[in-house]
Parts: sequence; C-alpha cells; structure tokens
Amino acid sequence: MAEMIFERLTHTLEEFVAMVVDFLPRLLAMLIVVILGWFIAFVTRFVIRRVLALLKFDAFSEKSGVTQTLTRVGLPPPGELVARVVFWVIWASFMVLGLSVLGIATLQEEISRFFQFVPHIFVALLILYVGFWAAHFFSRAALLAAVNANFPLARLLATFVQLGIAVLAVTMAFDQLGLAKTAVLIAFSITFGAVMLGLAIAFGIGGRFVARRVLEKQLIEREPEKDEKEASPL
Amino acid sequence: MPDAGKSEKPYAPRPLWYKDAIIYELHVRAFCDGTGDGIGDFRGLIHKLDYIQDLGVTAIWLLPFYPSPLKDDGYDIADYTSIHPSYGTLEDFRTFLEEAHRRGLHVITELVLNHTSDQHPWFQEARSSRNNPRRDWYVWNDTDDRYRGARIIFVDTEKSNWTWDPLSKSYYWHRFFSHQPDLNFDNPQVREAISDVIKFWMEMGVDGMRLDAVPYLVEREGTSCENLPETHEVLKFLRRKLDEQFPAGMFLAEANQWPADVRPYFGDGDECHMAFHFPLMPRIFMAIRLEDRKPIVEILQQTPEIPETCQWAIFLRNHDELTLEMVSDEERDYMYDEYAKDRAMRINVGIRRRLAPMLENDRRKIELMNGLLMSLPGTPAIYYGDEIGMGDNIYLGDRNGVRTPMQWSGGWTGGFSLADPERLYSPVVSNVQYCPQAVNVQSASRSPHSLLSWMKLLIRVRKSTRVFGRGSIEFLSPANHRVLAFVRRLGNETILVVNNLSSSAQAVELDLRNFKGAIPVEMSGGNIFPRIGELPYLLTLGAYQFFWFKLRRI
Amino acid sequence: MNTVSPGEEKPIEGSLLADEFIRELVAVGEVDLLVGVPTLNDAKTVGHVVQAAQIGFAKHFPRERTVLVNADGGSRDGTPEVFMSVAVDAPHRLLASQPLRTMHRVSTRHQGSPGAAAALRTIIAAADLLRAKACAIVSPDLASINPAWIDNLLRPIHKEGFDLVTPLYYRHKFDGLLVSNFLYPLVRAACGQRLREPLATEFAFSGRLAGHLLEQGFWREAEDVSSPEIWITTLALLGDFRVCQSFLGPKVHGAKDARQDLVGTLRRAVGTLFRCLEAQESQWSSKTGSEAVPTFGFPYEVALERVRFNRKRLLQMFRTGVTELGSILQAILAEGTLHEIQEIAKLADDEFLYSDELWVKTIYDFAGAYHRSVINRDHIIQSLVPLYRGRIGSFVLQNHNASSEAIEKAIEGLCEEYERLKAYWLDRWTPNK
Repeated sequence: MAEMIFERLTHTLEEFVAMVVDFLPRLLAMLIVVILGWFIAFVTRFVIRRVLALLKFDAFSEKSGVTQTLTRVGLPPPGELVARVVFWVIWASFMVLGLSVLGIATLQEEISRFFQFVPHIFVALLILYVGFWAAHFFSRAALLAAVNANFPLARLLATFVQLGIAVLAVTMAFDQLGLAKTAVLIAFSITFGAVMLGLAIAFGIGGRFVARRVLEKQLIEREPEKDEKEASPL
Repeated sequence: MPDAGKSEKPYAPRPLWYKDAIIYELHVRAFCDGTGDGIGDFRGLIHKLDYIQDLGVTAIWLLPFYPSPLKDDGYDIADYTSIHPSYGTLEDFRTFLEEAHRRGLHVITELVLNHTSDQHPWFQEARSSRNNPRRDWYVWNDTDDRYRGARIIFVDTEKSNWTWDPLSKSYYWHRFFSHQPDLNFDNPQVREAISDVIKFWMEMGVDGMRLDAVPYLVEREGTSCENLPETHEVLKFLRRKLDEQFPAGMFLAEANQWPADVRPYFGDGDECHMAFHFPLMPRIFMAIRLEDRKPIVEILQQTPEIPETCQWAIFLRNHDELTLEMVSDEERDYMYDEYAKDRAMRINVGIRRRLAPMLENDRRKIELMNGLLMSLPGTPAIYYGDEIGMGDNIYLGDRNGVRTPMQWSGGWTGGFSLADPERLYSPVVSNVQYCPQAVNVQSASRSPHSLLSWMKLLIRVRKSTRVFGRGSIEFLSPANHRVLAFVRRLGNETILVVNNLSSSAQAVELDLRNFKGAIPVEMSGGNIFPRIGELPYLLTLGAYQFFWFKLRRI
Repeated sequence: MNTVSPGEEKPIEGSLLADEFIRELVAVGEVDLLVGVPTLNDAKTVGHVVQAAQIGFAKHFPRERTVLVNADGGSRDGTPEVFMSVAVDAPHRLLASQPLRTMHRVSTRHQGSPGAAAALRTIIAAADLLRAKACAIVSPDLASINPAWIDNLLRPIHKEGFDLVTPLYYRHKFDGLLVSNFLYPLVRAACGQRLREPLATEFAFSGRLAGHLLEQGFWREAEDVSSPEIWITTLALLGDFRVCQSFLGPKVHGAKDARQDLVGTLRRAVGTLFRCLEAQESQWSSKTGSEAVPTFGFPYEVALERVRFNRKRLLQMFRTGVTELGSILQAILAEGTLHEIQEIAKLADDEFLYSDELWVKTIYDFAGAYHRSVINRDHIIQSLVPLYRGRIGSFVLQNHNASSEAIEKAIEGLCEEYERLKAYWLDRWTPNK
C-alpha cells in the first residue's frame, strides 16, 4: 500500500517535474519574447519621436488645432500620443505573442483575434486625428465667415460646427474599433439630444428675457440701417 | 534695336565661349595699314576693331603674324614668340589684345606646330652638324625612301616629302613645302618647347589657338603618317598643359579629313575643343548648284557625335583654296566644271576663289549660303571681305588671289593704306565688278540694303539664341528635294529652318505634326505665321529664299 | 476697317490662344500699339470704351500701326459682337483726322476660366506675338474714359521708353481706401517707389515687359481668383524696368461696380500681394526709404459723388471681430499689437482711434503670419477684415472734414510710418533672423 502510494507520489512528482521541465523553457521563451518586445517597442518609440519631430508634426498639429482639442481632454500632444500608443501596441503584441508561446490552447483564438484588432486601432487613431483637424478647421472657417458677415452668435455657430464634426469623428473611430457600436451611437445620440433639449428649454424658459434682449439687440436695432445707401469701404 | 557700340560687355572669358562664337578670319597684312608702308599691321587693325565689333562677330582669328621669310604666307615661322616687323611689335600686339577684349572680342591665333621655316634658329642649329643637340628636333634620314606611304600634299610644287640638305649631307622630312622642315614630335624636348610657346601667348591674353596641320605631327613606317595614335598623344599632352593654366583656352584643329577621321581629334573632350568641318563646305556649294539638298544631308548624317564640350567650326571660304580632297572624283569634276572652268581658278586639289565671284555675285545665293553657314550646327567663320562681297584675282599666284587688301573705301588703295598703290604688298582687286570703287565698306555702310547691312542683321538674329551654336539638328524630308528643311533644338527652344536651294520659286509641304500647336515666328522680321496643325504645313519660297522660324508655344 | 467676327473657336490643348485668334493675329501682323479690353458681360458699356480707344488711336497716333484686342471670358450678352461692330459715329469723326492705316479689331474667347488673369494673359501674349512696342489695358465698364487716356497711357512707353505706366486717378477722398491705407503704402515700403495705384485696372506696358511677364510662373496660380495686376506692378518695380505714372482724371465705373464684396476683394488683393512679396523677397527686403516715380499728365479736380460709410457699423463689426476672433488673432498678431487692439476696441465711438503705427504693425504682423503660414492662409486674410473695418472707421472719423490736400498729407504720414517700421516687418517676416 505504502509502496503503491509512494509509487503514485513518485509518479506524480515525476509527472510534475516533467511538466515543469517541459514548461520552463516555454516560460523562459515567453519572458525573452516579452523583454525583447519591450526593447523593440522602446526603440520604435524613440524612432517615432525623432521622425515626428523632424517632420514638425507637433507644430502642424498645433497650427491645425488638433493639439488644443487633445489638451482640452487631458491628452498629450498628438506626436507624443502616437509614440505612446505605438509603444504599447507593440509591447502588448509581444506579450500576447509570449502567451501564445506558452501554448495554452484556449488562449490561441483570443490571441489571433487580438492581432486582427491591431490595425483597427491605427485606423481609429487616424480618423480621430483627421476628424479633430477638420473640426477645428471648419469651426474656424465658420467663425470667420459669420463674423465677417456680421452674423449674430458667431461663436455659438462655430462651436456647433466643431462639436458636430468631433462627435462624428469619435463615433466613426469607435465604429472602426467595433466597440459596442450601437451602445456608443445611442449614448451619443442621447447626450447630444439631451444637451440640445436642455439648451432649448433653458434658453426658452429660464433665459427668455435674456434671449429676447439678445435677439432684439442683434436683429431689431439693426433694422433701420439696412436700407441706408452705403458703399463698401474699399 | 540698340546701337551695337553701346552694348559693350566687359571682357571675361568663360569656358565654352567658342560654342556661341562667330569667328571673323583675317590677315593682319591684308586688313589695314596703319603706318603707310603698304603692308597691313596691328596699328591699322586696332583702328578697324570698331568695324569688326559693329559687324557683330565675337572672335577674331588672325593668320600667322610671326617673323617669317613669308614663302608660305607666314605659315613658315622663323620665331614663334615675336611679331613680324612689318606688322608691328609685341607691344602693338598687346594693345590690340586689350582693345579687342574691351570690345568683347575673343582672339584666336595660329600655332603652326607641325613644321618651322628653314630659317628658324632651331633648324639652323639642327642642320649645322649631325651631332648638334638640336639635331633630333627635326626628322632626318640618309636616304629618301622612308615613309613611302605618306602622300604628297602640294602636288603642284613638291615632288617628294624628303629634301636633301647639302650642309649636313642628309635628307630632312617635310609634309608641305621643302622650306618647311617638320618638327620631330617623338622628341620630348620638342613637345615641351611647343607647350612653352602656347603658354607664352596664352599668358599674354590670347583666347584660343588654331593648330595648323595637326594630322601630320608624327611619322611611322608603313603608315600614311596621318592621324597616328602617337599624334593624338602629342595633342593630349598639349591639352593637359593648357587646361592646367588656362581653363578657358581653346584649341581649334585644322585637320582636312573625313568627319569620322576628324572625330578622334576631339578625343574624349581631352584633345582639341574645336575642329574644322572640311567636307561640309564643298557640299554646300554643290547642293546649291545641283539644286538638291542631298549632298548636305548626306555629309551631316555621316558626321559623328562629338563630346559635349566640343564644337565643329564651319566656313564657306577661307584663306586657302576651296579644298576638294574630301569629295569623290565624280563630285570633284562637277565642282571644277561648275565653279572653276578656267584652269587658273584651280590650285592643288581645290579652287582658289572668293565667295562672291564663285556665286557669280548673285546676292540671293550669297545670302542663302551665309544663311546656311549661320544655321547649320557649329561655330561659323567668316573670311574677311566676304561680308561686303569682295572679289579675287586668280592671276596673283598661289592663293594670293584671295588675300588682297581689304577694301574700305573707293580710293586707289581701297582705303587700305596711305601708301602709293604700287607699294602695297599686293595689288588691290581691279576688275570692274569688284574693284574698290564698286565694292567697299564705306558705301556698304551707307545703304541699309547692302550685303554688309544684311550680314549684320543675320549675325544679330543668329546671336539672339544659343540654339544655333549648341542645339541638335533633325532633318525634315519634304517631297520637294530642292528644299532643305531642318529643326534645331536646345532645351525647350526650337527653331525651324527652311531653305530653297533652287533658282525658282518653290512650294513645300512640311510634316510638322511633332510641333502641333506651335506658332512659327519668322526670326528676322518677327512676324507670326499660322499655327501648326495636323495637316502638312504649306510654305512657298522665292528663289534661293530661306526662313528661320522660332516655334513658340503660348 | 477690318472686322472679323469671332466664330466657333476650338482650343488646342495646352495652349492659351485659340487657332482662330492666331489666324486673326497673323492678318494683323506687327503693330506698334495695342489696346486690350478684357470683358465679361459688358455689352452695355464696352461700346463707349471701344470708341474712345479708336478715336484715341486716330487722334494721337495717326501714323502708328494699331490694334484693339478683346479677350472675352464667355459673355452671354453679346459683348464680343458689340466690341467688333460698334462704329465711330460721324460726330466723333470731327475729333480726329481720318486714320492713314487699316484699323484692326480682334476679339477672342479666351481659354480657361473667365477670370481676369486669363484675359490679361491672352492680351499680353497677343502683344508679345505682334511685337507691340506699347500695350494698354483698359477696363470695359469705364464711364469716364476719353480718347486722351489712350495717349496718356501709351505715350510714355512709345515715346519716352518707359516699361510700365500706372494711372493716377482723381478720386473722392474716401474712394480707394484699400489702396491708400494698405496696397499703396505697403508696395511703396517694399519696393521703395511711390507708385500710387499698384492695383489698377488701367495700365500700359512695353513689349519688353510683356515678354518678361509671359515667362513668369505666377499665371498658373493666378488662374481665377487673384489680381495679376499686383504681380505686374511689383515685378516691374523690383526688376530692371522703368516705371512711371500718368494722370487720367476721375475714375467712374459703370453700374456693375457699385457694391463690391469686401471680404472677396481683400482675399484677392491682400493674398496676392503677400504671395507676390514672398516670391520676390530677395529683391525688396534690403530696400529702405522710397523715391518718387516720374509722373505725366495734367491733374485737375472735379466734383465727385460723395462716398459715404456707416461708421457706427464699421466700428461695431470691428469690436465683434476683436472679441470673437480672439484666439485666431492671438496666433497672428504680436502680443503688444493684440493688446493695443483690444484696448482701442473698448473706446467709445467718438474717441475711437486706430493709429497709423498700430495699423502698420497690424499689417506687418499679418504679412509675417501669412509668410510663415501660422494657420491656414485664407483664414489669416479673413481675420484681417474686421480690423480693416476698424481702421477705415477710424480713418473716416479722423478725416471727416479734411480737404483733399489734408487727406494726401495723412496718407503720406501713413506711408512714412510704413517705411519707418520696415525693420519691424522684416523681423516679423522671419523672426529667427
């Protein structure tokens, strides 16, 4: 009996040792892959920072207003953001790769899904970048056009244009990532609708008198001037 | 148009100047006498520089002006580094250089390097004894049977290329006259000595040198002793020496050979900068007589490409006979029959006549010939007097008939000299059609329609673009063979040249589809012609008429 | 008279000029003088201009070879037909002797966009092809043109060897404020020559300048929007060309001109001027001070229709602009300039003052911002509009009762300010130097 137990124990131990002996090199391999991945990600980040600096990417982003949009939501400037995202994506990829080296069967499918997902991250980033750029550009264009046409509430118009395009870009980016498509869309619709409704109600009820004054000032007071014969100051 | 005298450019020689140049060839002796001794000189020439500048040419090529017994019009040099006393002093020459440069004119001189005069001190030393240190500077032999393969060039005067020297009791070698012993270029000392001569003149300010008779520098048994590889070695050596000190300097090779044989004289751009295109000239004369473009097209199609920095020099007439060595027997007979019926007009293998008399003083033909000279690829050279249509005197012996005094005005000496007419180095042309009273600069300058005025216009138009000097050439082949049409191109500039080689009006249809959409602008008048379309472009030309069109795109 | 009706014209690809037009030019041949009239739906007014030009030729240049060229942008009211057919009436004939030569008129529908640049380029190309010694451009809607204008524009070139003649107009004191407050002083400060009308619709140039202009690259960019006249003026001023002015009299345009679009005009004129200075930086940056330009003609004064502005509205739009565009102006203007502008925006209407110095600094800041493209260039120019309104409001306020001499003096003072602050300009243009 004791012998049997001992035998079983020995057998188990042997199996365990064999398993460990089998697993250890894979673990080591995984560690190497992860460390190598970090190193590659580090170097890539360095290179990207340098290249973007050379291309004056940050200066361009600042000029086109993307940077301002990002800082407003507490993000670093786009150049740095790109460098960091790339760093993490690369390192994460290597970590996932390391996991697959471990050879755990159930993980394999998830891993391959992860790698299918990676390109979408970059596309989403690009969409966001272009979207924020466009939002800023067209909002400025709208502001200038409105101011020069003496259109009242110019800044409000510009804000709407910017918000609209930004929301569109964010929605498209999430859509690209495939993250809870409908949920995001509905959430945005609700938020947007709520804000609009709130504004309307606030303006209509609470700010009735203010609104009236503003409108009177902007529209009624100017009425008589319109007919006056006047030349362009050229 | 701005007065040519006012557009005075400060002189600054730049590399490749020769590619855009127009050369005026003259002999100091024949141009203008400033001292009244009947012989032209540098002082006289300086007086006439304004005339040369006004003509519009950009370079002067001077025939030899060195001390010489003058048995071969100065090509027998007795001292390489001074001036013949009849023409002035080195000081006069320096003044001439300065004055020419001040007017933006380049100066090309002669370097007769193949041979010297037998009066040259080098030859006197060499013949003095068989073991003189300079003995080896010339080519000696005990017998006259070496180098049998070499032809005799001056067949009318020389019987052999060897002549007996009674003093040192041996034969010396000469490719030309017996009084012109050939230098021995196998001797490094000779090469150095010639290189020093080049340095002497270049340092003084000369811009380029015409290298006389270059194919004959070196002799080898069993060859024709022409165009030998060793000869090219000598030229490469001289060019290296030139480039070291004078990067804007220029060598112009005189090699009366087929274009394919002249081609090696350009090397890879490391021998001569320029070379004369001898076979083209008789063919222009032939084409105009045959009323057929074939001879010109043929010879230019046989002409090989030359290196980028090199350039052909082309001419209608020069101080020598119109050489017919580079034509077939059939062609030579035709040329003799058409242009030199009188035996006195022939000399050696050629015709000793000036341009105007050869063309029967037909203004239209003279204009067309000059038009071709100015529009075909290369740097044109005008022979002094041809711009006013001077005549010749075929009875003066050798080629002296085309070397008579320049006719400045209608006086007894043609305004050439204050000396009595009989004292002149050569009589002025006296026949009724070409005498100074009929043909002279003074009267030509007064008429806006004279040949001289017309030449000035032609030169001005030629100079308005670099295409003629540097551009490529493509021949068009209209069905009418009496019309020579070609296109010159450089960068985005295109010029269409159409010549009627015949004595009657011609219509021609040109296929100009490649230039569809371009507007032809006639270059001398500046008027525009209908735009080029898909259809053949119809032009009509009067007798010997030619057009230069700039093809503009707007 | 040789009249050729403009038929169906097929363009050749990549070419500026239509085949039919070239054929007509071949028939005209070399000319001495050319007058070009760019048109677009000007049937009502062009007849008067043609008559004036024709009589001008006959009266002042009876021996010269002349041609009148019309470059039309595709009018739908029959402008080219009017141009070709309008006759010089019998009473007019008394003004001029019978011309010795055939008087040519050619009309073409120019290729490309209907813009002024393409028309101008077509006329310049025609002048160059016909080797015209002098070529004048006149606008088709001028009510005040008379035959003497042709003489005044062409004679300095034809007889005196000038390369460019720009006009001097007699204007109401508040007419041409963009020119007097911006274009004239800035071109003057840059090029060092006092050329009063750098953006004129009437001017004349020599054959030499025409050839030079055709070779320029700006035509490609100027295809539809810009004002090519500014390029022509500055190229002539900065190149090796002789420039002069000629007094033409009052400038009165036909009905079309009454209300111009301020934003559009500023975008065209200012944008072009900035680009054109950018392209020729090496030629103007070292110039200092200025010298007078030779001036011909017989100046006289007439009573002109008053030009009135709504000053209150100008200032209101200025203030709105300053508040609303704060962040944009911050990117464009130097800190001090922006601060001062914000200060004056607080002033009451009667004491409002946009000083010369502040205005010049504003312009130089904008020029620098434009050159460095701190934001989109078109946005830069658009944000100048409210400030321009403020400046004009101030200018009109300060000079409300001023005589025309006093106005000239004020403008001269402004110009001197522009010249004085040129170093500031260069500093703003390339801040790192």
